[in-house]
Amino acid sequence: MNTMPQPHEFIDIGADVAGIREALARRRLVVIGGLALLLAALFTAAMVMGDYPVTLPEILTSLLSPFTGTTQKGIDFIVLGVRLPRALVAVAAGVAFGLSGVLFQDVLRNPLASPDIIGITIGSATAAVAAIIVLHWGGGWLASAALVGGLATAGLIYLLAWQQGVSPYRVVLVGIGIGAVMTAMMSYIFTRARLVEVQEAVTWLTGSLNGSQMKDAVQLGAEVIVLGLLLIPLSRAAGALELGDDTARALGSRVERARFLLLGVGVTLCALATAVTGPIAFVSLMAGPIARLLLGPSGGAIVPAALTGAAVTLCADLIAQHLFFSVQLPVGVVTGGIGALFLIAMLITANRTGRTS
Amino acid sequence: MTLLAFNPETARTPTHLSADKLHLGYRDRKIVHDLSVNIPPHRFTVIVGANACGKSTLLRGLARLLAPTEGTVLLDGKSIHQMPTGDVAQRMGLLPQTPVAPQSILVADLVGRGRYPHQGWFRRWTRDDDRIVGEALTLTGVGDLGGRALDELSGGQRQRVWIAMALAQETGLLLLDEPTTFLDIAHQVEVLDLLTDLTRHQGRTIVAVLHDLNLACRYADNLIAMKDGRIVAEGAPREIVTPDLVERVFGLTARIVTDPVSDTPMVVPLGRHHVAIAAE
Repeated sequence: MNTMPQPHEFIDIGADVAGIREALARRRLVVIGGLALLLAALFTAAMVMGDYPVTLPEILTSLLSPFTGTTQKGIDFIVLGVRLPRALVAVAAGVAFGLSGVLFQDVLRNPLASPDIIGITIGSATAAVAAIIVLHWGGGWLASAALVGGLATAGLIYLLAWQQGVSPYRVVLVGIGIGAVMTAMMSYIFTRARLVEVQEAVTWLTGSLNGSQMKDAVQLGAEVIVLGLLLIPLSRAAGALELGDDTARALGSRVERARFLLLGVGVTLCALATAVTGPIAFVSLMAGPIARLLLGPSGGAIVPAALTGAAVTLCADLIAQHLFFSVQLPVGVVTGGIGALFLIAMLITANRTGRTS
Repeated sequence: MTLLAFNPETARTPTHLSADKLHLGYRDRKIVHDLSVNIPPHRFTVIVGANACGKSTLLRGLARLLAPTEGTVLLDGKSIHQMPTGDVAQRMGLLPQTPVAPQSILVADLVGRGRYPHQGWFRRWTRDDDRIVGEALTLTGVGDLGGRALDELSGGQRQRVWIAMALAQETGLLLLDEPTTFLDIAHQVEVLDLLTDLTRHQGRTIVAVLHDLNLACRYADNLIAMKDGRIVAEGAPREIVTPDLVERVFGLTARIVTDPVSDTPMVVPLGRHHVAIAAE
């Protein structure tokens, strides 16, 4: 094995290579298919479960009513007015958080570097809290404040991390620092607030799907689809960035530009979703690693992470709504609980294998 | 046709790499000063020098990983910084000192990443890519490891996999930054033999930074000795390696004897102890 092959014994192993490549692609397809099925099952559960009993045929009739014109009093309101928008917002926000998380983790080559850990989400939250308490904003204005806050924080981190280009390591460190500053600012704003305002702000900060409306679902869904389409041409560059800056450059990837665009899409997705639902804790941290666990050696975690994000959010919302009978929790409480355990598990395994990046 | 037979047509049209009055540095720290060099095609060029002499910086500059503060790097007579980076990647490959791999990636997958510059929007993976990846694996002696995870391999195997990735890039010119560091002596010799095969049988041009002066003297067709960001001497080891050069470049008093195996210069350091004969 350690000897050089002589010219006459050279054999073409292209077929073996093809076999390995196809096996990897097959596993990836199985993972994507499985996640899609799981998501469909969770979505169905979200439509069926609730205090008001609705059967599957009734749901289908209701969903088709805009086309057929058949109306079912009460049921239409429950299905089209409450459960459908809520499930759709959960899926759209879950996809957005999952994508933003995996993009950050990929580009920064650090499984902990999701936007909720390195300060982007906290930037959105601080702006939203300021909007609620200082400016007394609500609704669309509040959402805009959260969006602008997230984007501005990301821009600030990027500028401060710049040093003849942006090194992933610096982005993470600067991000954590900025996050701490934002948290301090938020605490200060809280000390100046009246109790009612604090209550409103904390509710928003927990992340909730309560009161999701169809227009939120349509808007966020459209935004996620547009940004998702932008990722198609960028995913090739994401694959190169995984190999480190030097190798990626040597392979002809325009590293700085690719990193800027990928992080830009990630930040925008995170901020847009946060603006609608508030920060749903840890979904962006968990989606990528769970998807990778399922994928094993197969690469290309972007689509699986998007599906995982949606499944986690939907599942967490089902738990939040139905597990504790009469008490309805905001979805962020459930993802926060699961995510905290997940983060600890990740830190322990990362420590054990001694991985630094 | 076998891969190892030198075939200048299919393989590697000579790629000429040179630097013209190159200045390199990081922010205020200048590292390489006014350096001009011509890399001879189809040869194995080795860059040596003491720590922090600028040898890795020079390699990074030649590979366009570092933009020069002054001067240019020329690839076939054209400024490398003005060429589309994808075009450069089809002619010049680079293996960095500590390459990074995604967790649990398989060997065949990693080597396949070397096909990146040859693929694009509309150019999908083909049977040819599979064949080229297979060739790169066989050539580096890891043909049976394609389905294994990179993190399971030994250091020597891993290094050969990385070289295979650079080979799959199918470039006439290959730059390697300390490809033998972290390897034991047997694997060092193996990697250097492989690089020599690539120049002799495939007509590739290789430039490597090496730490071990004696291995450099044995394997280099062309040796570049650097000190303080400048080239002190350049040429065939037999012609340029003298006690005086070793003293100047490494600050080491040494005798030069002839390597009994390769008939190339061999540097024997004279320390303060264990010197049985009087220093000349």
